[in-house]
Parts: sequence; structure tokens; C-alpha cells
Amino acid sequence: MPTSIKMTRRDLVRAAGAAALAVGAPTIIRPARAADALKIGVLVADSGPAALFGPAQRAAAELGAATINAKGGILGRQVEIIFADAGASPAEVAKSAVKLMLSDKVEMIFGSHDSAVRQGVENVVKGKIPYVYTPLFEGDDCSSNVYFLGEVPEQELQKTLPKMVELAKGKTFYLVGNDYVWPRTTNDKAKKYIADLGGTVVAEDYYPLGAPNKFENTVAKIKSAKPAIVLQTLVGGDNVNFNRTFADFNLSDDILRLSCLLEENTLIGIGKDASKNLYSSLGYFADLDLPENKAFIGELTKKHGDKAPQQCTISKGLYDAFVFAAAVTTKSKSLAAKDFAAAAEGVQFDTPSGSMTMTHRHTSKNIFLARCEGTKFAVIDTFAAVPTQQSCT
Amino acid sequence: MEALLFTQGLNVVFEALILAMLVLGLAVVMGLLNVLNIAHGEFIMIGAYAAYIVQRAGLPYLLAIPAAALVCGVIGLVVERCLIRPLHYEPFETLLATWGLGLLLRKCVELGFGRGYRSVDIPIGGSVSLFGESYPTYRLVLMLVAVLVLASLFVWYRRAPTGARIRAMVGNPVLAEAVGIRTRELARNTFITGTALAGVAGVMVAPLTPVEPFMGLTFIVNSFFALVVGGMGTVSGLFAGATIIGGLQSVLSAAVSPTSAYIAMLLISILFLWQRPRGLFPRP
Repeated sequence: MPTSIKMTRRDLVRAAGAAALAVGAPTIIRPARAADALKIGVLVADSGPAALFGPAQRAAAELGAATINAKGGILGRQVEIIFADAGASPAEVAKSAVKLMLSDKVEMIFGSHDSAVRQGVENVVKGKIPYVYTPLFEGDDCSSNVYFLGEVPEQELQKTLPKMVELAKGKTFYLVGNDYVWPRTTNDKAKKYIADLGGTVVAEDYYPLGAPNKFENTVAKIKSAKPAIVLQTLVGGDNVNFNRTFADFNLSDDILRLSCLLEENTLIGIGKDASKNLYSSLGYFADLDLPENKAFIGELTKKHGDKAPQQCTISKGLYDAFVFAAAVTTKSKSLAAKDFAAAAEGVQFDTPSGSMTMTHRHTSKNIFLARCEGTKFAVIDTFAAVPTQQSCT
Repeated sequence: MEALLFTQGLNVVFEALILAMLVLGLAVVMGLLNVLNIAHGEFIMIGAYAAYIVQRAGLPYLLAIPAAALVCGVIGLVVERCLIRPLHYEPFETLLATWGLGLLLRKCVELGFGRGYRSVDIPIGGSVSLFGESYPTYRLVLMLVAVLVLASLFVWYRRAPTGARIRAMVGNPVLAEAVGIRTRELARNTFITGTALAGVAGVMVAPLTPVEPFMGLTFIVNSFFALVVGGMGTVSGLFAGATIIGGLQSVLSAAVSPTSAYIAMLLISILFLWQRPRGLFPRP
């Protein structure tokens, strides 16, 4: 019929508008769907002294996100990671955290970096969104809406020190560490446990962090003081340097060494000739003979092949963070600070190193005592669900 | 107590000698050519990686010395031709350029070997008993090698004709050129000698420290301080600087604490830069 064929200009505009909408709709709908994804800011060491861990941290975080996405994500939303570098100064990283919150609109932050950076980030996040701090650290932080997954000194020491005393058949300790908050706090807590065991601390030495340190002096003093155990809180290159010097001076046969931060990369640096009678107490080792760990490492190998970066306790924690967040939100049904905090208390979640339980915003977990065999760790004792003795509300 | 003092005494000597060995290449280039090679630490690092490769290949460790000298020498040759000479050996320009070179070398090694630590086994294990006190053999050998290298370089510089030519070039380049000394080649060879010496020092320290791309940074700091305190371009300056910085750090670290030793070293270096920038024994 002619009337139906006849098109007014208004009809034409209307039709064109509808057509444009139909063509354009997918592009309008698509960003809406993307906004539906739950963005999580993940702070990893792309630069700085810990950059050694960067690739492994990224791999662990990506696997964590993929794992919970495969199970339906968080609050029914797929998770999307936005990485930022945590290797810069605390002020710089704090700026990155602000950018993550304001322009990337992340709804949670996970971080694996040092405590100075954490305090910088806490000062800008101010508890507005959940902030999950994953590496081992000195403890005693109760900033609101911050959750700690890493080992605290109490966990590294309370069960391990009595075992070391038993192995060494002696109770005299020499403490050596880097000169900053983690070693000093760890040693203060260690002294309490040593006193409880009826032991004594013969001396303690602290070396500046990031300085060209040489350890001949301390090793000569250890040789003369003849302690049963050397408790170490040295990090990175200093850890390698000290232990190599210690072995060169022929002390490794008679004196046991326990390091509070000796992971896979550092042990490779120390080398097979210097690792005799060297022990490490941590919440995770990449070679753990547990089915959940075999699955974790297997997935990483499947994805990255031979080039899979070496995992260690520092990097693996970021995988745990995703599992933890998924477990909490299943209970809380929201990311609001109050709901999240309430649901986090007592939440139990499964990680590559076994089950963990959050109490008082810190995490009780398995602690492994390993003896170095060449450049590998052999777990000689497992302490199940070691409490943190932290009391955040 | 005497045993401890004796070992600590040896430690002080060891630290001073090793530092002198590490500074040597930097001192040659800085003292004679006025080029502060900020990438000096990276040449030490490359020397250490050369030692790592030689050891992994199952070759005798001594072979690492010519290997490191060759690799670092060749890189030095390229750097001299493409970077230092086009910048006319100007102190400030070459300082910036070698700073960039250091970044580049670190990244190249990182690309090839990754950021992870490598360890080089001690080539000579065991310890020697000295007056009833045992001291690691490798460290004693290092001290001996350092003394031999430093002494022979000193004698060579004083006695050999090339030493005389270098002194002439340093004293008055225009006049030296006029009497037929090929200063351009001489400067090139001096620069290469400096980088090759850094490589050899890298082989010497590789079994003591973690071998990783950033290891050079820890060496350049103390080396630079030793130069500042000792004075540039003289052998006495080199010895004085290494003894004061290496020795002082070792003594204070044993007697007070490692942190205060480090602070004291920084303070002394600042004082020298401020009040006596030419050091204790500058070139006249």
C-alpha cells in the first residue's frame, strides 16, 4: 500500500536511529559487561631489590585469578587483575595505589612487598577497600580492613626453635640480621622463646640493608663464641654472602644455622658447598610433597613450560590471596569493609601449602622446617596450623 | 681472644687488598684518563659471569681469568671507540655515558641469565692453619694474587717505556703527541686495561658473593669512596684509599657495629669530597 511505503522525514530519522542503535548496541553493551568485572589491584615487584620475585609473583596471581574465575569468580563477577609496581619508594607505590582506586576503580588490593611500602599503601587506602598483604612480615599491624596472609615471627619460631635446640643439642644462639624492622622485631620475639627454652643469646649483629656488606667479622666472632645455633634474619644478597663466608670459614660442620627468610632463589645463590646444616622455617616451599602443591606447580608448568618462574613463599602468597578473597565473599556477599571483616574472621581456605584459617586478621597455617640438601629443601618437620598470636580485632 | 684478634687482623688486610683489587681498574681509567667509568661495577659483574660460565663448562677456574679479561677487554674496546672517544674523554659527558652503559650491560645480562642468583663454587677449598688459627685457603690465595698484581703493575708503570709514555701523555698530551707518542692508541689501551682488570677482579670475587646482574652496584660504591679518599692517579693513593675505606669498615664493624661502620664510611667520603676533593695522594 502506498501509504505504508511513503516515508516521512521523521520516519526516516527514527528508522536510522533504530538502525544505528542496533549496530552500535554491542559496543555499548560490551563496556557495560566489562565494568561488571571485579577489578583487583595487585602490587608486585617489577623493579627494585625484590624484582627477582616479580615474574613468579605475576604468575602466581594470574593463576589465582584464573582458578577462581573458573569457579565463577567473586560475587558472581569475573575477576580482572591490574598489576602495579611495588618496587619503587613507599610514596611512589602509594600514588600507584591511589591511581588504582580512583581511575582503575579496583575494589580490592593485594600486595607482596616490604612493610614500608605497606604502610604507605595503608595510609592512602585508609580501609576503604579490602587490602590483602601476602608476604611474611614482622606482625603487630592492625590497620583497618587489612588482612595478613604471611608468616609472622611467632609462627616461624615458636615450634621451630625447640626443634632446632633438639637437633643442635645446645641452647646458645648468635643472632645476625639486616638492620631494619623485620629482623629486629623477629629477634626480639626470638629472644623471648630462647629464654623460655632456657637458652642464651651470646651476641647479635645487624648489617645495613642495601650496603656493600662483608661478613668476615661476624663469622670470626661466631667462630670464637662457638654458639650452637646461628639465627639469621638476613635478606637477599646478604643472606647469600653471609652463608658462603660462614661455610668458607669451615663452621658449617659444627654450628647449625636457621634462616627466617631462606627461599628457593636464595638457596641457589648460597650453593651446595655452603648449605650444610642450614635450615629454613617457612610456610611454603616449592618442592612440598602435597597434592595441592603438585597441582599448583603443575598448572604453572602447564602454562609457562620450562620457563615457569621459580615459586617461593613470597610469590605463592598472591595465589592464596585470590582463594582467600573468594572464600570470604562467599560468606559476606559483599565487599563492604564491615561485612568483609566480619566474614574474614574464622574463614578457612585451601592453599598449595595446606589449609589456612584467618583469626584476628592474621592467618594460622602449616609451618615447615626444612634442611638444605645441596640446593634443595628437604622438609624434616611439619607443624600443623601454627597460631599467629596476633590480636587484631 | 688473641685468636679472634688474629683472624680479625687478617680480615682487615683481606678487605683492604680485595678493595684495592676492585678499585684498580677504576683507578687506572679515572686517574690516568680522567674518565669516571660508572659502569666499572658492571665489568666486574661480567667478569663474575665469565667465571660462572667457565666453571659450569667444567673448565679449570684459572681459565676464567683470561676469559674475563678478553670479554671485558673487547667490550672496553667497543665502548672506547663508540662512546668514550666520540665524547673526547670529557669527564662529565663520559660519566653520564658510562652510567647509561651500566644500565645497558645490566639489562643485557638480565636478558641472557635472568635476575636469579648464581653461585660459583670456591675453586680452592679448605683452610690453612696459621699460628694455630685456620683461615680459608682461597682468601689467602686472593690476598697473594692481589699483592702480586698490584706490585707488578706498580713496577711496570715506573719502569717500562709504556709507563713512561702514559706519564708523558697524562702530564702534557700536546707535547707527548709532538714527540711522537701516539696518545690516541695509548689512551685506548689504557681504557681497555682498566676494563680487563675489572673483569679479572670479578673472577676473583665471584666465589665469595652471589652472582647476579645487579652485583656491580655494590662494588662501585666502595670503589668510588676509596678513590675519593685516596686520591686519583697515584699508586699510594690507591693503597691509602683501599686501606682506609676497607680497613676502617672492617675494624669499626668488628668493634662497634656494621651499621655505624657504614655511616662512618659515608661521613668520611662526604668530608673528603667537601674539604679535600683531590684525596690524600693526588697526582701532582
